[in-house]
Amino acid sequence: MSFLEKTVDAGSTALYLQRNYEIVRQLLAKGLAERGFILEPLKKAVEREWVRKLLWTALPERDVGLSGAFVYVPPGVSLRAPVSTCFVVSEGAQEVHNVLVVGEGSELVVLSTCTSAGKGSLHAGYTEIFLERGAKLDYVIVHAWAKNTDVVAETGVVVGEGASLNDVYISLRSPRSLRESTRITVRRGGSALASSLYLAGSGSSTLETIVTLEEEGASAEVDSKIVAASGSFVSNPITIEAKAPNTRGHVECRGLQLSPDSVIVTAPALRSARGGAQLTHEAAIGKISEEELAYLMTKGFSEEEAASMLVRGFLELGLKSVPEPLKPQISSILDLMAKFATG
Amino acid sequence: MLLEIENVSVEVEGRLVVQGVSLAVGRGEVHVLLGPNGSGKTTLLRAIMGLPGYRVEGRLLFEGRELNGLKPHERARLGIALMHQNPRPLSVKLSHLAREISRRFGTPLDVLRDFALDSLMEREAFKGFSGGEAKKAELALTILQRPKLAMLDEPDSGVDLESLKVVGRAINRLAEGGAGVLLVTHTGAIIEYLRRVTAAHVIVRGRIVASGDAETMLEAVKRKGYEVLARGGIP
Repeated sequence: MSFLEKTVDAGSTALYLQRNYEIVRQLLAKGLAERGFILEPLKKAVEREWVRKLLWTALPERDVGLSGAFVYVPPGVSLRAPVSTCFVVSEGAQEVHNVLVVGEGSELVVLSTCTSAGKGSLHAGYTEIFLERGAKLDYVIVHAWAKNTDVVAETGVVVGEGASLNDVYISLRSPRSLRESTRITVRRGGSALASSLYLAGSGSSTLETIVTLEEEGASAEVDSKIVAASGSFVSNPITIEAKAPNTRGHVECRGLQLSPDSVIVTAPALRSARGGAQLTHEAAIGKISEEELAYLMTKGFSEEEAASMLVRGFLELGLKSVPEPLKPQISSILDLMAKFATG
Repeated sequence: MLLEIENVSVEVEGRLVVQGVSLAVGRGEVHVLLGPNGSGKTTLLRAIMGLPGYRVEGRLLFEGRELNGLKPHERARLGIALMHQNPRPLSVKLSHLAREISRRFGTPLDVLRDFALDSLMEREAFKGFSGGEAKKAELALTILQRPKLAMLDEPDSGVDLESLKVVGRAINRLAEGGAGVLLVTHTGAIIEYLRRVTAAHVIVRGRIVASGDAETMLEAVKRKGYEVLARGGIP
């Protein structure tokens, strides 16, 4: 069992593990099904008409089959122990389509991991998430890819009225190529916080986030941290568009270049189609500070250890809100990223 | 002897900043370096720590071992700690830094309790800290290193009275625990909070111009000023 699979297994309230197209594990904690909680393959879930009608409403339609997971949390349920899904591609290509619905006033923490191993050459994952009125979702995605994998990952989220989304995307090993796209639509009074931590090794990656503040009172913050190692090219376009008054949005992109032969392109964009929106952005790209390195060396850390601490710090400071139940796992993941980044 | 400095000169960017300094610090001893701004006090400490950009001539011995050629982290691991005068903000949370230092040197984190740093722990280290907060945090981290030799660079500058007491108590504990202390002060404000001072040395334009007991030296500085002492007006 890989590190990520173990991470997924630890203390989950519901678990769905798929290797290529085979469902390896599917567990639901006792009593949840009786309360109306659903965890099942999407292929089965679409037997319900309302589920069928939801498909491709949060993302542009793609020609993808029904392999993947469906999770439904009924209204008024608060689950703080995480629901975990894990997708592993170890042979050829894997295409998955996941749908997650959090009912009115419910609270959920999800840990979603995707990884490749062996001969896994392509992972294409499409995830649609619907937060109904007043729902609260902490959605943590962790990616770790082999060097020979190409990845397409698209996530569409509809944040309903007064609902709140905390979306955390962490990639600790980048693939040969990646096209990651997150589209978030925020309705009246809803809020979205989208943070991403991306450690780029050799290869080309595009991480795109588009947030639409659809209705009055909607707000969003997008924080992106990129660490670029040797031979990496990362493009990071982020757009917040306000379509209604009394909306707020902030974009922050920071890049840390560990190697002179890496490229980071940050492109924060703001678009306001109505008066009364408050939109701001900040962007910065830099390298590890010699002074900070020297300071840490006086505290007993070798140059490599000091660099690793600074990378970890850079990444950790990008996480404004970490769901409590996943703090230990995320801390271990940050340790790993810092280690990978500095060799 | 813990630290022996023998006829040490230090050059920074081609400029001679410290000239022919000799000094010895034993276990449990507290030595104070007094001097005006730009007299070479900080440079001497940073050179002993082995920071890059400081070219040293002469001998630096720690517990009889030659320090020349050792990197700062190797010197730190031997037991030398430097409390920086103005640590620059770091992109690392103070809590993480403290945990890592505590792990590295095998010291319990509860030594931080006296410094009342709780409200700062989850912030980026030194970012937006007040003068007193920065001094307390930096001294706390220095103590976490469980140093045999603590070099403290102006622990009393920009510090309010309450923080000064905390800093003074911590330095006393360090010395009473057997550490050697080499303390740089511009104003001498910290001296009245120290239970013992082995000797005070006045450094002007990179040279030690007078040494003696702390009270006499401080009094001489107040009465005559650094320049008179530098011209040979030793009390």
